[in-house]
Amino acid sequence: MKNFDYEVIVVGSGAGGAMAAYTLTKAGHKVLLLEAGRDYDPKTETPMFQTKGQAPLMGASTKDKDFGFYDATVDGGWTVPNEPYTTGENTEFLWWRARMLGGRTNHWGRFALRFSEHDFKAKSRDGLGADWPFDYPDIAPWYDKTETLVGVCGTNTGLDDMPDSSIGVLQPPPKPRVTELLISAAAKKLGIATAPMHRAVLTRPKDGRQACFYATNCGKGCSVGAAFQTTTSLLPMAKATGNLKIITDAMVRSVDVDDSGKVNAVTYIDKNTGKDIKLAAKVVILAASACETARLLLNSKSKHHPDGLANSSGHVGRNLMDSTGASLGAHIPALEGRPIYNEDGHTANHLFIPWWGHKQHAKGELDFPRGYHFEISSGFKEPSSSLNGNFQGYGKQLKAEAKKHFGARITLALRGEMLPNEHSYMEIDDKVKDKWGIPVVKFHWQWSEHELKQIAHGLKTAKVILETMGASFSQPLPSPEKAILKGGQIIHEVGSTRMGACAKDSVTNQYGQTWDCPNLFIMDAGVFASNPHKNCTLTIMTLAMRNSTWLAGQLDSSTNPIKAWES
Amino acid sequence: MKRIKPNNKQINQNSPYVSTLTRRESLKWLGVLSASALLPSFTVFSELQKTQSDASSVVKGHWPKLKLSPISAKGYGTDPAMVIPKSPWPRTLTTEQIMLVAVLADILVPRDGYVPSASQVKVPDVIDEWVSAPYEKQQRDRFTILSALRWIDDESKLRSSNIFVALSTKQQFEIIDDIAYEKADTPKQFRQISHAFSAFRRLVLAAFFCSPEGTKDIGYIGNIPINGDYPGPTDKAMLHLHQVLDDLGLSL
Ligand SMILES: Cc1cc2nc3c(=O)[nH]c(=O)nc-3n(C[C@H](O)[C@H](O)[C@H](O)COP(=O)(O)OP(=O)(O)OC[C@H]3O[C@@H](n4cnc5c(N)ncnc54)[C@H](O)[C@@H]3O)c2cc1C
Repeated sequence: MKNFDYEVIVVGSGAGGAMAAYTLTKAGHKVLLLEAGRDYDPKTETPMFQTKGQAPLMGASTKDKDFGFYDATVDGGWTVPNEPYTTGENTEFLWWRARMLGGRTNHWGRFALRFSEHDFKAKSRDGLGADWPFDYPDIAPWYDKTETLVGVCGTNTGLDDMPDSSIGVLQPPPKPRVTELLISAAAKKLGIATAPMHRAVLTRPKDGRQACFYATNCGKGCSVGAAFQTTTSLLPMAKATGNLKIITDAMVRSVDVDDSGKVNAVTYIDKNTGKDIKLAAKVVILAASACETARLLLNSKSKHHPDGLANSSGHVGRNLMDSTGASLGAHIPALEGRPIYNEDGHTANHLFIPWWGHKQHAKGELDFPRGYHFEISSGFKEPSSSLNGNFQGYGKQLKAEAKKHFGARITLALRGEMLPNEHSYMEIDDKVKDKWGIPVVKFHWQWSEHELKQIAHGLKTAKVILETMGASFSQPLPSPEKAILKGGQIIHEVGSTRMGACAKDSVTNQYGQTWDCPNLFIMDAGVFASNPHKNCTLTIMTLAMRNSTWLAGQLDSSTNPIKAWES
Repeated sequence: MKRIKPNNKQINQNSPYVSTLTRRESLKWLGVLSASALLPSFTVFSELQKTQSDASSVVKGHWPKLKLSPISAKGYGTDPAMVIPKSPWPRTLTTEQIMLVAVLADILVPRDGYVPSASQVKVPDVIDEWVSAPYEKQQRDRFTILSALRWIDDESKLRSSNIFVALSTKQQFEIIDDIAYEKADTPKQFRQISHAFSAFRRLVLAAFFCSPEGTKDIGYIGNIPINGDYPGPTDKAMLHLHQVLDDLGLSL
């Protein structure tokens, strides 16, 4: 890059990369950000009030748009054109990618829950998986800072699975809907609490972003910046410092090293010309998403790093985890014909059911480790191509039947913690290359009995909650093997470059600094040592903020320990 | 021949569904219709006779063997402009099929006081867009729905020697009553068609409720910006909730 004397190259502009770029540029460091996708501007490209009726096929999902026409994903979804991935025998794995500035933050669900003390040291308790190389109090102030910057609505509940934020950090949550209050009452009867969901949606204006006006689904993106995405917040704010340059359509092929094995460059493909461009680099931060980052490392082989860069532990690509997922829904007769009002709200959960089982775990009453929560799907939703109800007949009676079902269905969606296992990992498929000639990822996947028992417990619990609201089930519950969604399907893939306390069984230290290459950092969910059920992205951003602040400190220090490692 | 009240705008041969049709096409349609009324669609009928050996086939059941060439048009791609939504693929229903869809859609969702019927809110256009789309699910639905449309005309010809849209209302409803219910005791010869008709019915209903008038009719009142905090449930909605909670023996 002529005329721009950058100190740090960041790869990827999603949750992790944008936060790293923001933090470093604010601290006065010049950053060059490389993004494989196209430039994207939510201000002009978001279909804010367009209805499903105006969309092709009533907005239904298709292979071009897996989550429906208006989903903000560009050139991605379960497949990316001409950039395949493969799976091993008996493996079903789904990998969601987006090729656009801002990555998957443009359309994520914005559920933003903190991990707790429990979560960071779970192995110490039950002996499974891995502990994180720090404790909750080390990261708590960074959660505060991240929640403040991102803008998270919710409340402090005092529940043992939901650590409090400092006073004044959270923005007020929206009032619960009727369906959510009904669930709350039913759960309460069973001794289970509900709580306001924490969401990265502004209910008060902030930094030029408007407060939510309670309409149009956040999955479309948000032109007014209320629903957090890096393209309306961190990236423009980082640019405003004058310290950030972004190159889009820049698909990084490899991280390169000098003769002594030190990282000194990054090579990317300029997608507009198809040409390789090599950029010298002092410090590199990878935040291309957990599996793209691991892929990059494994594809960056050299004499000094024969198994891939930063992979002396052999852990790059291993310990891959997603959240577990399963759902159970039912028609609630008592809700038929209930009084109509506007239930859009901030278009996702106002209430949810946090994990309630810590005490049961402590007493040894559960046959599975780790927890889960329930997200809730309900409400008077905008009509779409799919309808609730099994319809017969025609005419007035048919329409009456459809109206009876409107707003009367409730679905509980389980999201649970998965433990790492040796059968779930990714590697490079050396027989298949993408259109850029880069070898692709091959996934291997198996659920263990831990996850299946958890799903069985969750389905039973969901059924009781729904029955308490008056639902009836004519079919028996599906088996957990049938009910559990595929690996990757919850889109919380983490762990492929995990952090740890020692170089033998982890890829980075607690700051995301790779053990093997001190000027190479990882700031996406690859570094997760475990995958607590509380959706990963708030923690990706919090770690990226904490770790790039630490990196800035290193760069600022007169001795610059990172520079000392440079060739 | 059926009598039509002029303001009722019921779709039939005298008042064809026109929203997608150019004037030239609708004139053509009227021509087709009068011809078919005179000479009940012999091609179809003889095709039917080839696969069905005798007249008792009406009782035994029939099912058209459609040979559809796959849709090869392009989809909207992985990066469509969403602010001005468009489906780029050409529509494939014939004028006759569109008319039949319009008549059937209006039987499913007739005009209801001030609320328009399915064809009045262009449901047939949505069906045409759907069955013409180059995506897997839609292509499966295309096969199901085109088979159902053909079956309905075949059945009409077997029963009354005319295509469905040319039948009297009474004759039309005799057929619809046979195929509009998927039940355990649905007679064998109507099982396949009532299943296919269900798929068509879901699509018509969805398309109706997705129209601005249908959305209003089902009662969805969101998609409007709210100034200030989300107001939450109305008093009336809360009153109802408390009644529900009482009935279920629950409390907040
Ligand atoms: C529909 C949906 C709903 C979700 N809901 C939630 C939720 O409610 N809560 C939650 O916590 N999480 C949710 N997630 C997950 C969340 O989106 C991700 O965890 C988060 O975006 C990951 O951030 P990231 O920075 O690691 O990766 P991404 O956001 O995927 O960004 C990575 C970027 O790197 C770019 N890139 C990749 N490879 C290269 C390369 N070789 N060279 C250059 N650039 C590259 C990509 O194009 C992309 O822009 C959801 C995801 C989806 C899809």
